[in-house]
Amino acid sequence: MKKQDKKENISRRKFMALAGGAASFAAISALGMPIEWASNELEVDIDTLGVDKLSTDVLVIGSGMAGLFAAVKAHDAGAKVLMVSKGRLGASGQTPFAKGIFAYDPENEIVGIDEFVEKVSFSAIGTNNKAYTRQLAEHSLARVNELREWGFFNSSLYNKSFSKPIEERNIPVHERVTITHLIKEDESVVGAAGFSIDEQKVLFYEAKSVILCTGAGGVKPNGFPICDLTHDGTIMAYNIGAKVTGKEWNDGHPGKSENPAACYDGWGDMFEQKPSTTRIEIRHDLGVEANYMAYANGNPLKMGPPGASKNSAGNNGKNDGPQRPEGLVLSDDGPPGGGEKDGNRPPKGEGRRPPKGGDGAPPGMGGGIVGGSSAGMAIHKSEGLVPINDKCESNIPGLYAAGDALGSYMSGAIYTQIGSSLAGSAVQGGVAGEAAAAYCKNIKSISISKSKMKELKAEILAPMKREAGYSPAWVTQTLQGIMIPNFVLYIKKKSMLKGALAYIEELRDHHMPMLKAANFHELRLAHETANMIISAEMKLKASLMRTESRCSHYRLDYPDMDNENWQAWINIQKGEDGSMQFEKQPFGQWPNEAV
Amino acid sequence: MGLIMKNEIYIKNLVPLMIAFIGVPVLLYTLGDFPRRNYLMETLSLTTILGFTILMSQFFLSRINKKLVKDIRMVNVLKIHKFIGYLFISILLFHPFFIIVPKFFDNGVTPSDAFLKLITTFSGLGVILGLIAYSCVLILMISAFFRFKLHLKYSTWRSLHGVLTLLFVITATWHVIDIGRHSNTSFSVYYVLIVATGVYALLRTYLFKTTKSSKEHRNTLKIIK
Amino acid sequence: MAIESINGCIGCEECIKSCPTDVLRLNPDSKKAEILYPEDCQICHLCRMYCPVDAITISPEKTIPVIVSWG
Repeated sequence: MKKQDKKENISRRKFMALAGGAASFAAISALGMPIEWASNELEVDIDTLGVDKLSTDVLVIGSGMAGLFAAVKAHDAGAKVLMVSKGRLGASGQTPFAKGIFAYDPENEIVGIDEFVEKVSFSAIGTNNKAYTRQLAEHSLARVNELREWGFFNSSLYNKSFSKPIEERNIPVHERVTITHLIKEDESVVGAAGFSIDEQKVLFYEAKSVILCTGAGGVKPNGFPICDLTHDGTIMAYNIGAKVTGKEWNDGHPGKSENPAACYDGWGDMFEQKPSTTRIEIRHDLGVEANYMAYANGNPLKMGPPGASKNSAGNNGKNDGPQRPEGLVLSDDGPPGGGEKDGNRPPKGEGRRPPKGGDGAPPGMGGGIVGGSSAGMAIHKSEGLVPINDKCESNIPGLYAAGDALGSYMSGAIYTQIGSSLAGSAVQGGVAGEAAAAYCKNIKSISISKSKMKELKAEILAPMKREAGYSPAWVTQTLQGIMIPNFVLYIKKKSMLKGALAYIEELRDHHMPMLKAANFHELRLAHETANMIISAEMKLKASLMRTESRCSHYRLDYPDMDNENWQAWINIQKGEDGSMQFEKQPFGQWPNEAV
Repeated sequence: MGLIMKNEIYIKNLVPLMIAFIGVPVLLYTLGDFPRRNYLMETLSLTTILGFTILMSQFFLSRINKKLVKDIRMVNVLKIHKFIGYLFISILLFHPFFIIVPKFFDNGVTPSDAFLKLITTFSGLGVILGLIAYSCVLILMISAFFRFKLHLKYSTWRSLHGVLTLLFVITATWHVIDIGRHSNTSFSVYYVLIVATGVYALLRTYLFKTTKSSKEHRNTLKIIK
Repeated sequence: MAIESINGCIGCEECIKSCPTDVLRLNPDSKKAEILYPEDCQICHLCRMYCPVDAITISPEKTIPVIVSWG
């Protein structure tokens, strides 16, 4: 995109090479049109690129809240740990923007853990995994106390407090390293591969165990700070045979209609605030109710009373719109204490909970709200690797995931407990860290074969080797154009899902193999774009498969809940032939557990 | 000499200097396309800029400026020179702290962490030059304050003062042009011009016109004392 | 649009490290941060908040590029 306007004289040889490759190019250039929209002007010398191989017991990928605890707890359990991050410790993914963390303190709560788990299950209409909901409550206070000790609550920026335990333990952290592949040998994970933007190197990490703390993902939407999250962990794991889940659910965060891309401004001064703890407060948030209102009534979105979509959206009193549990009562009178700090709460003016005084306009903002600010992301912890037990373990031996990279259904398919996303990441990070360290003790030695390294290096650098192709920026925009519309991603029906799927399959089959990159920045974008395309395919197919409406999944053609057929999660796995395979996993069961 | 006439002479001599060292930088600051911050930070920025430019005017508020010495007498030139020196060097000594003032008003990086990062960033020349300039001007001020306790010969003192000044001016200007928040092309050209003029005047006096009688120096010294 | 300018950069690289989307890089000659990929700025202000010398200016506007038929 950047060089679109730049005209350039191409040498005759180069011209011949291009023209030889595609006759149409010759035709275009004969017309005197600039053609470097397609030619890849490589800015690095890939033939002399260095390759490094490093070894560790536990490789933690990601440096947000889950990664922090995964690294610390794996180290404390006796493993040699290495942390690698696409960004910076405490400053990448959604962690830096989350300001509320749930701490279940039995001393101060009237509600016991059993009752808490039941309440979450009720609001989540059975979609939550009770083992993980319980684990959250049991471990949250201990994790919060550790964070307090490290100074987490003293600053709005988390790098310093996160660095404290990591530096005390001398855990190496490789920042600004994009991991693109997980490596499997003999059915077990043996490491990962990627590249360092700063060192301009291809890196191989040999590891007995890998913990994905790679967060969630989206389609780089405007208005939510998740443009670095592209489901990398999920897709890498899927590619080596891991089961993934939760692709039909949606996070329905809206944005401001004025400067919708400005996520900082959309959240007022929340990003500048110090974090704080939250107590039990179970809700039914971040679904697609505002999307349904906008779909039914058009823009601008009219602010109604809480739950307005259920009865006052101009539907003649018909009880339609996204499904909520029967008899759900929420304290919707105003923002609950600490709730606005959560980092998971929508900006003021979110459809279902109008601000006090309520013309629907957040302070300092004249316009209304628009949907899709977190497009491509599911409800926290509903989307990601399928756990085979409550130890954050995947179906690939040695591969673990924690936080938003794990489809733990801790909150269910709707956002239930305020502040639980950050707390859940901390808790699961710790659990995964200890489990991975224990797993390593039984693994003698692992190695990545030379042939595998050669093959992966070629795959990693492939976008740089293409002389012509499509820019990741353009493919991403096209993908956004297909996925973000309210009538595709949020208010679903068969015909539209199929239509969108046809586009996505085109991107997958023809454009993904032709993504090009001229430098390491674009190389990162190319791999991210590929991950988004596969995730989009999963989302559309899972949405087609789920022929009911529940929590944050809404089908216009199947508006009712179908308890007979759909008390189940959808798992996705790559088949032997490379095709996308789907299965149901009943609520309340682990995969492959006898029904 | 009547009072009115005396004022007129002062005005006649000092107004051009004020235009060159206050008016021009304020104008460049106003016209420049700089992102504006809050009033406090803009005030501190302008104070720092003027602290530097007015300190540059010291070249012309000294013995070098023969006409000024003749018009308002050396004793008065020295009074101004000392006043400006102490005041604006102090401002420059404080300016690293001005930079981290916003850190007192937010919840992010603490002021002490920001300051530590500021004075330990040696990836570029900017901060290193700043630290050298800072040390020079600090020594310059202290040595001026204790000038008569140092018991230096006048020529030694003058050399010390001049060398420190040169070292300060060159490192400071380079520092300002390199990492100054408000260093655009116009400001850079302006700084180079005034420094070049000042240094030229200083060197000319020191290197080529060193034939002043020692008697004259002693007289001046008496006046100062 | 998005991240606009950097004035008074000391070259500490805090912003470069903190940017989640790799918008900033250190200029090898000037040893200062420069805005290399503003189109990828998500306007999250982390760079500005991590900057020790308050050097970064960000505006809420972002020119969202129009979707073209090839690119």
